[in-house]
Amino acid sequence: MSAESPVLLVALLGHADWQQVSVLASPPAPTLTVSGVSLVPDIRGRGTDLGGHLLAVLQPPSRNDWHIDVLIQSAASGGASAVLIGDSSPLSQPSSALAARVGLTVLGADDPLAAALAARRFVSEAELHAADTVLRVTSMAVRSGEGVEDVMKAVGSVLRRPLALVATGGDTLLGADVVLEEDRETVARTLTAVAARSRATQRVELSGSALLIAHPVPPTTARDATMWLVTRLPHDLPAESAASTAALSVAAAVIGQRASLRRLAVERDARARASLLGELLNAPDDLAPTTRRRALDAGWRLDGWHLGVRIDTSPDVDPVAQRPEVVNALREEGLEAVVVEQGDGWSAWITSEDEPRGADVEARAGQIRRAQRRLSITAATAVGVGRCHSGPRGVARTLGEAGEAARLAAGRVASGRFLHVDRLGLGQTLLAWTRTDTFQPAARSLLAPLEGQPGDLLHTLTTYLDEESSVSETAAILGIHRNTVSQRLSRIRSLLAVDLADPSERLALHLACRTIWIPPSDVG
Amino acid sequence: MSVPGPQTLRAADLEALAVGLCLLGSGGAGDPHPFSSVLRSRLGDGELVLHAPAGLAGASVVPVGMVGATSVFTEKLPHGGEFGAAVAAIGRWTGALPEAVMAIETAGLNGITALVAALHLGLPYVDADLAGRGLPRLDQLTWVSAQLPLTPCALAFPGGHTLLIDRASPTDVERTIRAALAGTGGWAALALTPVPAGLLDETACVGTLGRALALGRAHGSLRMMADAAEVAEVLGGEILGEGRVYDVLRHSSDGGLHAESSVTVLDRQGPVLRIETENEFLMVLVDGQPRATVPDLICLLDRRTNRPLAVDALRRGDEVFVLVLPAPAWWLAPEHLDRVSPSAFAIDCPPLLLAGRP
Repeated sequence: MSAESPVLLVALLGHADWQQVSVLASPPAPTLTVSGVSLVPDIRGRGTDLGGHLLAVLQPPSRNDWHIDVLIQSAASGGASAVLIGDSSPLSQPSSALAARVGLTVLGADDPLAAALAARRFVSEAELHAADTVLRVTSMAVRSGEGVEDVMKAVGSVLRRPLALVATGGDTLLGADVVLEEDRETVARTLTAVAARSRATQRVELSGSALLIAHPVPPTTARDATMWLVTRLPHDLPAESAASTAALSVAAAVIGQRASLRRLAVERDARARASLLGELLNAPDDLAPTTRRRALDAGWRLDGWHLGVRIDTSPDVDPVAQRPEVVNALREEGLEAVVVEQGDGWSAWITSEDEPRGADVEARAGQIRRAQRRLSITAATAVGVGRCHSGPRGVARTLGEAGEAARLAAGRVASGRFLHVDRLGLGQTLLAWTRTDTFQPAARSLLAPLEGQPGDLLHTLTTYLDEESSVSETAAILGIHRNTVSQRLSRIRSLLAVDLADPSERLALHLACRTIWIPPSDVG
Repeated sequence: MSVPGPQTLRAADLEALAVGLCLLGSGGAGDPHPFSSVLRSRLGDGELVLHAPAGLAGASVVPVGMVGATSVFTEKLPHGGEFGAAVAAIGRWTGALPEAVMAIETAGLNGITALVAALHLGLPYVDADLAGRGLPRLDQLTWVSAQLPLTPCALAFPGGHTLLIDRASPTDVERTIRAALAGTGGWAALALTPVPAGLLDETACVGTLGRALALGRAHGSLRMMADAAEVAEVLGGEILGEGRVYDVLRHSSDGGLHAESSVTVLDRQGPVLRIETENEFLMVLVDGQPRATVPDLICLLDRRTNRPLAVDALRRGDEVFVLVLPAPAWWLAPEHLDRVSPSAFAIDCPPLLLAGRP
């Protein structure tokens, strides 16, 4: 048995093992401590050496019995911290008047023995309590279900305190609300990513004597954000906080392991989906029967009409981990979509029996746009939507279009990084691509040497390329002599250092011209 | 406590007597005031001699009193013949003609009933009784301590019928009478077996009525708003506290047979007084420590008028003195004490008496 360490009575009262204990008279001062527990069999018993002790009377006395008064008096004069009696019905008026007079806290419990033994454990057997708690947490956590939630529930049932997974900064990811708004700053200061790297339990002392015990959860992958397993104790009961510290480190390890297992399973599924989609995209016309079979198992309907959606996101988002959120966002908008992790984002498609009418497709696009807005809470995305196509080949085509559209959408802040191919012709789509945020600077820098030169070199070059490299046509359109055109073209060649006979260079220049010099017919 | 020479009682003494009887009642035993007006009209201008037992040595003395609910007695008044009927019945049964009357219990209401009976029967009154103070049960009478039987005894009910009990133990007598009272009018006149007056010095409390008168007269000399020390000195007792009645907790045990209560008095100086009661005040605890018990007379007095307060009249907010007066001397003998000690009232506390203190 370890040395006795006085504990605060209010902290004892706040503990789950003392849930059945109530204050019957003279509520304890916040600083009142208990340094030991004395037991007497009944109300006539008198403890010896009561100084600082909790005197527990095991046999519940009748509330009207004057012996309670004698007990209160003798306990108070013996220096006891408090008296605990059986059953929690209120004290009689005379007894409570006396308790108030002598200033002795009187507690009631339906099972005074259990309460007294619990108190004794907290006061003088803190290590035993910690060891017992860790053992129970370990056995409960190991036997709990597969999910992180199951582990949290099992550990919570042993600790009987609110338990949560909290992100660095104090956001609760899972579980009870342990970080109150007013404590957020304190929590954010202590639970930092740097602190998590030390793998040590952190204590956060909060306002109003409450205490947070936090242990970092071992990360599953390198790009996982730091998580803390946090419990909130209303008071610092040394035995309990020591036990919680030890128990949380065990629980955090188990949670980390469960998260890894789940991650493995999720990644296995993701790989399976990705490879299936790969086969589908590679050979949509000539599907092997096994591929068809696997698609069926995965719940993919290859026949019917498909509307492809491509969701691109930034490289720091984990598409495997966040897939459920994408599925949910679509589902909440009423869209049952197949979602496959692919690259830095997701490919998805929605299948319907019959060819959808234009209005239906419009409505779907609207729903997808709203789903994107829902997703924006967790990740910034660029979304492209393809046209409707049918059959296994249709999946490949609509996803191809959607992919193109998504790439274009990424540069279009004004449209909310959302693009629906159906609205533009394919040619326009391609052209539109040149007007993206990424291409325009490139085009401008390509054509920069032409700026400020005498003669309308940019206009001349654009017209020349538009008119199938015909000098005479260009001269006719611009209303100048063909020699002038030739002379301008040679200046352009030397300024840009390009070979206009090379098809790819010509194409690049043509696109750049169309980007910067927009014909009046295309404006708007 | 014997008083030298025969004392007399006049109508003018009745107020003092009533207060004295209340003090001896220790919060119980009934209010003597309503019936003392009957005594006043019987006495008229005359006087009643309070004989000492020694003065009537050879006479056969019959103890009389009323049993049952004192509150019913004041509502359902006697027609006057009950005590005569009881005495006549016991005379018929024993064949001995009573020559004098004494009280069963000289406290509260019963201090007056025996006097009225003596006047009604035209017999001399012997100042002796079997209780010396207010006591709730017949099996607590001095005769039981002195190994004398309570039977034969006769009960006369206000309805006119008579009940005679013979060859029963004191406990049986108590139980039979309680049962009979529950089935009839709530109270009855009781007459016990007449005994020679010479026996009373040994087997009864002598001079209790004299003590009641002395207490009443001393009380009458108190000023209004007297302080605690003055009250204690004049009445010859000790004040355990003075303050406000904070709570009257009525509870009962034995399936409601015994009306118990705990009175909490907050002393002006701070201590918390708790007074445990049944029909009478039984014990006083000051700050959780027992300080006084039966058979000492625990009395609560109105702090303004000094009037004794009955257990059932106490209310929250009353301002009171908590006073202890010495027990009747008869009960202090170790062989008698058991019958009226706290344990006789199911209180496991040794008797704490003024007489035992330095």
